[in-house]
Amino acid sequence: MALLEEPIKEVRTLKNFIGGEWVESSGQLVDVVNPVAGQTIARVPISTKEELDAAVEAAKNAFPDWRATPPVARARCLFRLKELLEGCFEEISRIQTQEHGKTIDESRGETRRGIENVEVACGIATLMQGLYSEDIAAGIDEYLIRQPLGVFGIIAPFNFPFMIPLWSAPYAVATGNCVVIKPSPEVPISQTRLAELTEEAGIPPGVWNVVHGGGTVGNAMLEHRDIVGITFVGSTPTARLVYQRCGDTGKRVIAQGGAKNFMVVMPDCNVDRTIPALMTSFFGNTGQRCLSGANLVIVGEDDSFYDNFLKRVAEAASRIVIGYGLDESVQMGPLRDGEKKARIIGYIESGTREGATLRLDGREDFNIVGDYPRTCFLGATIFEHVSPDMRIGREEIFGPVMSVMRARDLDHAIEMANANPFGNGHAIFTSNGGYAREFRYRVISGNVGINVGIVAPMAFFPFSGMKESFFGVLHTQGQEAIRFFTESKVVIERWF
Amino acid sequence: MKVQTASATITFARTLESESAEFYETLSQKHPEHKDVFLSFARENAKNVAQIERAYYGVITDAIEGCFAFNIETDEYAFDAGLAEDSGLSDALGRAVEIEGKILKFYSDAVEQSKPLMADVPRAFEAVAKRRRGRRPQLEHTSEASSRRESA
Repeated sequence: MALLEEPIKEVRTLKNFIGGEWVESSGQLVDVVNPVAGQTIARVPISTKEELDAAVEAAKNAFPDWRATPPVARARCLFRLKELLEGCFEEISRIQTQEHGKTIDESRGETRRGIENVEVACGIATLMQGLYSEDIAAGIDEYLIRQPLGVFGIIAPFNFPFMIPLWSAPYAVATGNCVVIKPSPEVPISQTRLAELTEEAGIPPGVWNVVHGGGTVGNAMLEHRDIVGITFVGSTPTARLVYQRCGDTGKRVIAQGGAKNFMVVMPDCNVDRTIPALMTSFFGNTGQRCLSGANLVIVGEDDSFYDNFLKRVAEAASRIVIGYGLDESVQMGPLRDGEKKARIIGYIESGTREGATLRLDGREDFNIVGDYPRTCFLGATIFEHVSPDMRIGREEIFGPVMSVMRARDLDHAIEMANANPFGNGHAIFTSNGGYAREFRYRVISGNVGINVGIVAPMAFFPFSGMKESFFGVLHTQGQEAIRFFTESKVVIERWF
Repeated sequence: MKVQTASATITFARTLESESAEFYETLSQKHPEHKDVFLSFARENAKNVAQIERAYYGVITDAIEGCFAFNIETDEYAFDAGLAEDSGLSDALGRAVEIEGKILKFYSDAVEQSKPLMADVPRAFEAVAKRRRGRRPQLEHTSEASSRRESA
């Protein structure tokens, strides 16, 4: 199909958004590259610690007025932001495809979920209401008020450039806090566009700040004494580090890490509906999501079910249309960059070395729609005879690789999933309510899918995670985010 | 051409609506005595597109199977919207019935295939299909009225 028009037509140098001003950074500039053809589409600064300090200072200065702004007035800013986002829906979606490589359907899905978080935060007037108990003792009343805390830092990953900061920022701002967002320097453009819209929506200067950069800015956020809390999404080692360092500096923290999600297929599943769900789960976003399926566990000792099911999975995977996401026929885009592809190829090689059988080799067995270099592209890969102790069965690959295992029965499948250190988004495919309940009840996973392969919670539910997939107590999105971004102040009152 | 993604399916629906709208606009010029019917179809096509797009943009999220939802072979629904210079109203109405049949089949198939998507998308396709089902009697009525006029 013909390509949709690219919204980014010229290379511009991005600036930081500090105190309502677009400020040029003194840091080194790095190319932002569209992974499809390796074309530079922007230059992003690797900002300095001083620039982060300036953003935090601006946020700190904006905080007193913003927290004193009535919640309904704050909500109106968010309503305006939602309207502006709807107006720019297609532009923002296409920017994501250009900067990240994901398909246009995936980008639009990301835009929608981001907007949904803004919508939920628009209900702040009721969401942050407190509690009141009259006569807790003779003539004494007790009540709870939720108060904002100050400045929060949001550190974002590369895989969902637009949406993930919106798991946090609308709630932080709605509750009266100010934010400093550090987008991934690999995909900073949609966050820049979002910041432009916050300005247009009337969010006051200093409430919403963006500082581009890498480790220097991230580290400075963790150390900064005026940042009261951090939300982070990224790999497990970094999430653990963020959690520890926030503990050291007394910050509250939500640190979401990696995953190794088990998709458990029972022989009684609806095969026709399960196959597309698995394609989306394993190969959607080119496997670069913490809710991607990683291990496909086919349950039972019925060899014919196993063979037939896997044959259909492999056929479907081999037919995935690969190319530039602005071609609407494309089902899977490239990986974010060649380095990530090399890392995944390392996993594929390790799988072969450890004795797994390569059923579909994504290194070679694929075609690209359009005339693009193969630099960042990788086809769907399927391994059979994987055991949970192999690297490809144990570690997060973060690419389009399916590791197929067999389990004797449901108990065995649950044991396998629970033995893995991660617990983010396991799912079961079955037509049996008893199996589904058993799985939901026993599996150690923050998000659980029943005939759903991407267990992405709606904006009004928390984005949960367990074990090595999450460090913290409260989660992003919905009511839990409201609690995270507010302090509960309890008042006990008596009048003489 | 095979269409498998939600995005490409929406674009294909838009193309069908747009091409058939052009067809009816042409008919309204060639047969002004029936322009009210033909132009109402063309206007309705625009509403159909808006309804489908609204449903799609409203419910598409990162969680649904948008890239793997459909298996539409576009050639099955292709139609020829051109009419010969000397063709009469009955030829045109015959072609219109044929076009409506093709488009209706597309929407019926799309309803079935879009079930993995959130309910709004198949519901939107169904609503458009329902409206289109109502066109055939109108076209037949137009044809009968025209025959009566000619015989009178």
